[in-house]
Amino acid sequence: MSKPAKTHKIKMMEEQLAKKLNRQVVGSLVGCVHCGMCNDCCHYVLTHPDDPKMTPSYKADQVRKLFKANHDWTGSVFPWWVGADKVPLTDDDLDTLKDIAFGTCTNCRRCTINCPMGVDTATLNRIMRGLLTNVGVMPEGVRVVSKDQWELGNQMGVLKEDYIDTLEWMSEELEEELGHGGAAIPLDKTGAKVMYAINPREVKYDPRTIKEAALIFWAAGENWTMPSEGWDNTNFGLFSGDDGLGGACAKREYDKARELGVDKIVISECGHGYRSTRHEGVNWSGEAEPFPMESSVMTMLRYIKEGKLVVDPTKNNQRVTFHDSCNNARSCGFYEEPRELLRLVTTDFQEMVPNRAEGFCCTGGGGAMSMSEYTPRRLKSGEIKANQIRATGAEVVVTSCHNCVDGLGDVIKHYGLGCEVKQLVDLVANALVIDECAVMKNRPAGAPRPEPPVVPAAESDVAAARVAAVAQPLAGRRILVVDDEEDIRTFLVTVFEDAGAEVMEAADGDECIERAATFKPDLISLDLSMPGKSGVDAFVELRKTPGIQEIPVCVVTGHPEFRQVIYDRPVPAPEGYLNKPVDEGKLVSYVAHIIEIRDERAN
Amino acid sequence: MHESSSLLHTAEVVHWAALITMAAVYSLRLRWLFNFKPGADKSAPGAPHRTDKKRGANYSLFNVAMPWSMESTRKGFAFYLTFVIFHLGVVAGISLAFLSTITPSLVGKPAFALICGSTLFLAFLVAIYRVFRRLFTPVMRLISTPDDYFSLFMLTVWFGLGVVTEAHLAGVRGFESVNILVAYLFLTSFFLIYVPFSKISHYLYYPFTRIWIGRALGHRGSYPIVRG
Ligand code: SF4
Ligand code: SF4
Repeated sequence: MSKPAKTHKIKMMEEQLAKKLNRQVVGSLVGCVHCGMCNDCCHYVLTHPDDPKMTPSYKADQVRKLFKANHDWTGSVFPWWVGADKVPLTDDDLDTLKDIAFGTCTNCRRCTINCPMGVDTATLNRIMRGLLTNVGVMPEGVRVVSKDQWELGNQMGVLKEDYIDTLEWMSEELEEELGHGGAAIPLDKTGAKVMYAINPREVKYDPRTIKEAALIFWAAGENWTMPSEGWDNTNFGLFSGDDGLGGACAKREYDKARELGVDKIVISECGHGYRSTRHEGVNWSGEAEPFPMESSVMTMLRYIKEGKLVVDPTKNNQRVTFHDSCNNARSCGFYEEPRELLRLVTTDFQEMVPNRAEGFCCTGGGGAMSMSEYTPRRLKSGEIKANQIRATGAEVVVTSCHNCVDGLGDVIKHYGLGCEVKQLVDLVANALVIDECAVMKNRPAGAPRPEPPVVPAAESDVAAARVAAVAQPLAGRRILVVDDEEDIRTFLVTVFEDAGAEVMEAADGDECIERAATFKPDLISLDLSMPGKSGVDAFVELRKTPGIQEIPVCVVTGHPEFRQVIYDRPVPAPEGYLNKPVDEGKLVSYVAHIIEIRDERAN
Repeated sequence: MHESSSLLHTAEVVHWAALITMAAVYSLRLRWLFNFKPGADKSAPGAPHRTDKKRGANYSLFNVAMPWSMESTRKGFAFYLTFVIFHLGVVAGISLAFLSTITPSLVGKPAFALICGSTLFLAFLVAIYRVFRRLFTPVMRLISTPDDYFSLFMLTVWFGLGVVTEAHLAGVRGFESVNILVAYLFLTSFFLIYVPFSKISHYLYYPFTRIWIGRALGHRGSYPIVRG
């Protein structure tokens, strides 16, 4: 039977491959002897023992075949002899390749460091992703996120006004908590020493970490700023294999830092963000090390060592373990600093084995969190990580990566480990002894301790109202709580009522729609997994129903893996997304903030 | 007996010609490899206080002799041993072929025969094990190409024939026929011509791939690997 002719896409992939070849890549392409020694190093192999297609060399062979057929002597003349006859020819073949490159590998590089030949399988898999992305073949989540990062400058589609609004919100909260007016987050401050770049997940799901970082910079007396553009340290180009996107994202950060005239970029705790900004971005953008760049972990550690921050480790006295982000540990040699810092701010640190460059992936690497179609396989591959965590007996898993926070969160939930995930910024902020930090010690001799801003008498009513607002931030608001589990409903209702809200309950999707129309809430707190009409279906119906489609929705779910499912729907995304178990304070402030934004937009 | 065989003489000439051909093809192979642009990393070193490109490259190049350095060799120590024996067998087989033409008296010495013969024999056993592993393990079957099978079959036969050849050269009774050596030399010649076009050429690339990955990861700070 004759073979089908190569499609245009395949020809484009072959052309692209030629552009991606360099000595190191070719070395990895020709160096594999198919010995199988990398097999047992991959978390997909270990958790799918009956599926030989999980083996790393099979994944790398997909691009190796293309190379051999087009560039290798033997492969060009006798393709069948070296497996180069099985190259993709049709667009269906490309779908299979997509599933292999995106769905069976997190590009964690664990096989790379275990190959006796020095073959960098993860890099080859990334090349295959890049070839596919270039011809438009990629998981939907990758397409959406890449588009957002190209068009909006960040991978979660955060609008500039929302970003700035969140910084203002966090500034207000921080100043209120400190009772001090000088701790606001500086924005676009020229001549600052440090420009702090973050992960958009912090804006969208966990702004608390921005506030904690701000507290730390303030306490250390740092001259710092956050930028209004180029603030996203993450880079989907690393995951999609698109070096063009990678270079553009990195350049946005470098250009902004140049414009502000800062001395250094400090990158918040994000594994792939650190790798992309600090290392790969330099190569993709063609800039030779534009600035000193460091992870905020290094910054915090230095502040403590220099005495700018004083910490009390007994404030973090739970048993903690540390999960190394693959990007940090294997691709950036960044693994000792977090441990050093962890030992300074906690009392009971238990090492996970194996660790550092030999650690296993959290399952969320390589952009896996954005590819919901592969979630079941990803969660199955998490068994290795779950066993590692379980063996430590830790109550808290600490990691220096936002992707890992989500990946580990899923693993912990799926395997019922009962621990929580934190980042070092949480622990450092919690351990601070503010009175002994630089900001207090370095104030001019005799100067009083910073006090809350003095409120003029004429503003006292406003001030009183503000105090009340802080005490009952949801006063006068109506909230519809939708959850099928009665005890969770009761918990949420109590939290919202204590915060001053008027609350109505619904136990499934149908009740949700009906009560949204009659109760007209200011916000709906929505569970996703419910019998009958699910939260996902109810959400889509809400968004499509005139009269209730504008009501802000905050998803509160025990299934973080559904995140992408809901974002993939062809309707506007929910205004908020929280994972259960949810912290009361965080829930209330988050919900209050969503409603405030809704009000501001309406006005 | 040795000098009298014109067939043997032909085999020796072919053998050396094959060596020269292999060297020429290998030079072209290296030229081909070095015609690709180098992959430079412009970023600042990841952990300059701990390691650098040079340390990473040294560590990477010699980690073949440090089975504790990689989880795959640490946990698969038995497999690592078979790897060592297999490659020592290759060294013994090549030495046997060339020394038999340069200094036949040496290869017939009992001590040489014992060391070389037993190394080849052990390598032969390992090769048989590898044939079975490649044929019957689903993962290995999936990733194997005709080249992988053929190269392994050929080496297995070559090791076996090497054992017999060493017996011949050591004067063991029952192995007197000079045709054994002739066959061994012809097979080695074929081998020398074939390897630059096959997966066996990996040993040409090996130092480069190891040094390159070592430099890359040394620059980033993750090589040498630290465990705790
Ligand atoms: S990638 Fe390395 S370890 Fe894996 S099969 Fe190839 S040579 Fe062996
Ligand atoms: S990079 Fe990681 S996930 Fe991918 S094949 Fe290698 S070990 Fe497996």
